[in-house]
Amino acid sequence: MAARLPDMTTLLAPGAQPLPSLLSARRLKNQKLARTLRFWVPAGLLIALFFMCFIWPHIYSIPPGNTGSILAAQEPPFSPGHWLGTDPDGVDIFSMLVYGGQVAFEVGFSVTAIGMVIGGLIGLAAGYFGGWADSILSRLIDVLIAFPALVLVLAVAEVLQPSEIHLIWALSVFSVPAFSRVTRGSTLVVREQPYIVAARLSGTSSWRIILKHVLPNVIPGIVTFSLLGIGVVVILEGAVDFLGLGIQQPEPSWGAMIAKGQTVLTAQPEYVLIPSIVLLIFVMSLNLFGDALRERWGVR
Amino acid sequence: MALAQQVQLQRDPGARADLVRRVTGSPALRLVGRRLLTAIPVLLGVTLLTFVVMNLIPGNPARLILGINATPGQIAQVDHQLGLDHPFWDRYWIWLDGLLHGDLGIAYSNRQSVNSDLAQFLPTTCWLLLYALVVSLGLGIGVAMLAARKPNGLADRLSLAVSMLGLSVAPYVLALVLIWVFAVKIQWFPAISNSLGSNPLTAIRALTLPAASIGFPLFAIYSRLLRADIVEQMQREDYIVTAKAKGLKPWRVLVVHATRNSMFTLITLVALNLGTLIGAVAIIEPIFSLPGIGAELISAININDLPLVEGIVVVFALVTVAGNLIADLMYAVLDPRIRYGRSAS
Repeated sequence: MAARLPDMTTLLAPGAQPLPSLLSARRLKNQKLARTLRFWVPAGLLIALFFMCFIWPHIYSIPPGNTGSILAAQEPPFSPGHWLGTDPDGVDIFSMLVYGGQVAFEVGFSVTAIGMVIGGLIGLAAGYFGGWADSILSRLIDVLIAFPALVLVLAVAEVLQPSEIHLIWALSVFSVPAFSRVTRGSTLVVREQPYIVAARLSGTSSWRIILKHVLPNVIPGIVTFSLLGIGVVVILEGAVDFLGLGIQQPEPSWGAMIAKGQTVLTAQPEYVLIPSIVLLIFVMSLNLFGDALRERWGVR
Repeated sequence: MALAQQVQLQRDPGARADLVRRVTGSPALRLVGRRLLTAIPVLLGVTLLTFVVMNLIPGNPARLILGINATPGQIAQVDHQLGLDHPFWDRYWIWLDGLLHGDLGIAYSNRQSVNSDLAQFLPTTCWLLLYALVVSLGLGIGVAMLAARKPNGLADRLSLAVSMLGLSVAPYVLALVLIWVFAVKIQWFPAISNSLGSNPLTAIRALTLPAASIGFPLFAIYSRLLRADIVEQMQREDYIVTAKAKGLKPWRVLVVHATRNSMFTLITLVALNLGTLIGAVAIIEPIFSLPGIGAELISAININDLPLVEGIVVVFALVTVAGNLIADLMYAVLDPRIRYGRSAS
């Protein structure tokens, strides 16, 4: 790509950081505190969400997230036994949030991990070696990026049975090219550094250079990119469920909860609002945490 | 072109031929040519991939058209009419041949030509995207300048918070919340609109909520990116120092010098993002029952209508590839460093 790609990773970085104040010890302390908070508040929210989804159901017994009694349907929040209420089918909303959250965590992290490993390796190789292999790989990636993700996800849902694992594979088809493009870009920059030239001149093998010298220098950028990526995948996973093509009813997912709530939006907006707010907190924590990491590591 | 070169050109007749050679061999033109050439395999790849994926979906289109009670003879006849009795590669070749002649084939579902289907649904989507883009760009540029005027000031922090929200909210969630607030609680805008109608005012009312659902995340990206770029320009670039030293007013330096140069980055981002916009359309349009190609794509996939899906995917892919091309051209044509071939990579 000839055009200088806008540096997506600096979108949220506050840009000019004020220099650590040398004059006032109190201001310096405040800056340090703000930095710590910027890191630990989103990290704490993520840990709390993880705890709610994976550990809470093992400690406390919660009602099943896929069935309920029609007799206990549409209970308002703070009713006995259902502190967030129940939906029109009598399913406990908090349980659906918990089990849907497990799906969001699992899909978000595995799709990003697959993209990071496979896409990262492709990007490293393409960026480092260049030449015709790079041209072919770059065109393949262009094809996948120009191909509407929905068509493939829908097709996978129709051909194979719609399930969590198939959803993960279908979404990975789009995380792999994204990661390989980003990795290739930063590999191109690192490749020109003097220490790489020195390693090459001293007769180090290509793969050793890639793994020992290039990889450690591109990893911070990839990790911060991946945190944004998880957020995107979670939103996309919700969209697929929202369209009814991902996790199938009655298994709970945040997207399906929002879609179900859409039908009773006028009467009971909380069915849409509760999962939406949790989804928003999840994605926002990921984004803020990515920013804080970028600030700590000085990634641009 | 430098003045000295022009003077030399008038004196020396041989230099004119040299100029012709220089223009045809100019890095900018070569770059454009190379980009156009690489766009072709990408488009071919996308159409082939769609063909393969759609062919994997089980279910016979003829049976879908005729219903469950069709006899095998009738099915064979419809198969023949639709060209489904040819092998895979023949069908792809026939379709590709049609595409090169501007004919996208006949949709299975309503037996109309895909061209006329697209002509029917494309305008709604175009208006929707145009609305979303214009408003988000206008607001984004304004907010970015306000925020960049004083980095880490009040306006900057407020806009950071708002754009963080825009970057984290899912478009379908935003759409439903907007419906709940603006169509259910205070009834300013309609929740669903089956057609735009002929009255421009009703069309704008119908498109406002969907455009806001698509535009708010865009606004967040644009304002943050532009702000970061302006701040960088204000701190690093020599011409800003010159402008300030000339005694220009601060707002003039910001608007005329820094922002104008940062628009490069913004336009590139807009062009590169065109492809992803279309994915948003596929989710937002059905929520508002808007008759656009996004909603049409979802229903076409559900009924396994290969020619219609292919037609829409081709439009999507063309827009994506064109966006990439525009981004490259902007740089090649407008950035003097690439125009004069100092750096073309």
